[in-house]
Amino acid sequence: MTPSDPAPLQDAAAAGAAPAERRLHPWSWLFVLLQQLKQFVVPLVAAFFFGGDRNELWPLIGVGVLTFASVMQYVTYRYVVGRDALAIRSGWLHRQRREIPYARIHNVSVEQSLLHRVFGVAELRLESAGGQKPEAQMRVLRLDDALALERLVRHRGTAVQVEGVDAPAPDVLLSMSTGEVLRLGLISNRGLLVLLGAWAASVQFSPRLVENLFESWGKALFGWASDHHFGLQQYAIAAVTLALAFLLLMRLLSIAIALMQYHGFRLTEQARRLTVERGLLARFRSSASRRRLQAWTLHEGVLHRWFGRRSLHVDTAGGAAGEHGQKSRALREIAPIATPQACDALIEHLLPPGAGWSALEWRPLHPRTAWRLFLPATTFPLLLAAALYWHAGPIGLVALLLLPWSAFAAHRHARHAGYAINEGLVAVRGGWWARHWRFAELDKLQALRLTRGPLDRRWGMATLWLDTAGASATSTPLRIRHIPEAEARALLERLARTLASRRLRW
Amino acid sequence: MTDAATLATPPPAEWHPLPPRARSLFVLSHASVGLLFAIPVTSFVGGLQLAPPIVTAILAALLGAFAGAAIGVRRHRSIAWRLDEEGFALRRGRMWFRETRVPASRVQHLDLKHGPLERRWKLATLVIHTAGSKMSAVSVSGLDAVDAETLRDRLAHQLDHDDAL
Repeated sequence: MTPSDPAPLQDAAAAGAAPAERRLHPWSWLFVLLQQLKQFVVPLVAAFFFGGDRNELWPLIGVGVLTFASVMQYVTYRYVVGRDALAIRSGWLHRQRREIPYARIHNVSVEQSLLHRVFGVAELRLESAGGQKPEAQMRVLRLDDALALERLVRHRGTAVQVEGVDAPAPDVLLSMSTGEVLRLGLISNRGLLVLLGAWAASVQFSPRLVENLFESWGKALFGWASDHHFGLQQYAIAAVTLALAFLLLMRLLSIAIALMQYHGFRLTEQARRLTVERGLLARFRSSASRRRLQAWTLHEGVLHRWFGRRSLHVDTAGGAAGEHGQKSRALREIAPIATPQACDALIEHLLPPGAGWSALEWRPLHPRTAWRLFLPATTFPLLLAAALYWHAGPIGLVALLLLPWSAFAAHRHARHAGYAINEGLVAVRGGWWARHWRFAELDKLQALRLTRGPLDRRWGMATLWLDTAGASATSTPLRIRHIPEAEARALLERLARTLASRRLRW
Repeated sequence: MTDAATLATPPPAEWHPLPPRARSLFVLSHASVGLLFAIPVTSFVGGLQLAPPIVTAILAALLGAFAGAAIGVRRHRSIAWRLDEEGFALRRGRMWFRETRVPASRVQHLDLKHGPLERRWKLATLVIHTAGSKMSAVSVSGLDAVDAETLRDRLAHQLDHDDAL
């Protein structure tokens, strides 16, 4: 920190002095450049290795242009911390000036990668309600400036500012110990994704990698047999041990990833804003106003059940993944894992008082739900059996054994499925091995849809879809599946009337 | 839901079908989709060498366009909308029935679109945007242009009384 730095941010804002134009951190061009290089890293590396002798200078020219652009971005980027709004001026050829009222900023995230920490800086993102892109992405600010700006947004945004008195210490709603993080690693399958990605990449570069690995593993196990061919038994042993080793590796990777991402996870609440902090090397911190929380998902997989844990997520408005599939930094994880009691307590605490989550009366679906789930599920086994019969003769009909299995699965699914609705809350549950509960306040519903396919029509069923803001396309939809049509219709009318009489409160 | 609650509601507003002249629009748009489907069919059947390629192509195109047109006619007949004090409702389909409700209090903004054919037949497409995710834009095409404007104005009027966002 040099003496020529402007006055600390909070003082300048509080003193009501003429707001001065501020700049990003002097090193910010480096981080902008790195970010841009990240996008071009594949073509650059490809050009470097496979480009041949002719055009080895092209990557350098590209880097030069990007560096120039990054420096220009730093030079032209100014922001002013005003009384009610943040004004940002940026651009060189294409100039832009943007005013962001603090009250409109719903999600704030502060991100610090390892490199950021070396330089003592952080990246700040401000997101408003709609929009796929963040309103402002300040790459990068000094860490204390970023935190001060975050605090400012928090207080201005909620209009509960107590002058002179320091805000009370935030309430810690959940903090994960290292043991919990390790459990999370054991439960999660992130390592599998990494291994799959590595395998896909290895297939690109050396197609025989997996075979070679198998052979050398076998040789390592039965070194004496390296001259002869392996017998069936050796093959089996090698395959099983290799699979076990892979499982172990996957779990270890998962644990490592969990430690990196979730070490020191803390969910805090202050002035009706929730803040999540996490990360071992790279620190993430994102905060959202409590009223921005939309639909909730409680999840319990098999491993979760063995460890007596569940995970709790929430959609935040404007927090859905962007168009290009990049993950939003918005607050999403309320509890990566916690005991069922802790999850219930969190839900009770965060939903408005009297939502009655623990006292919901679960109702079953239509009596024929199991059949309704089973019939469409027969398509795949039947097609598979037909295809196998065509290719391999009668033995292919073994695929029909999938049918009883899917009947059983449909039965189990139907037994666990259900829905519940009261004055303020609507909830659905489903799954069998991996169970989920999804629920939202009635006030947060945006649109309703009743659907009925040919099978539903025959059995007098219907499905009710309830749409909420911020739900990602891949998350479990909030829908009440396969209930008697009259019931669905009555629910539709009731919900439509309720929603019409209540204003949308963000 | 009790009977008393059902009786307490005012008589529901009626369902409005799309104007008959919108049928041509549906026939045209669905027939062109059917034509697109004819391309893979042609290449598949053409591989079987049953008939000269040109015959296969013409037959597939005719069949695709005809099937598309038939679906268009049926879909046009199945669409109906309703506006009451609760909001907007849209029905579609018979085999695959669906009814969408957008409560007036949840409308974010509205778009009125007129394509070249729609302008010619005095039709319009109304798109109702909500803050939702899957149903963030509910679109109704083939509305009578005057009806569409009335719908837009009435739904936008509700919006003025709302200080959402």
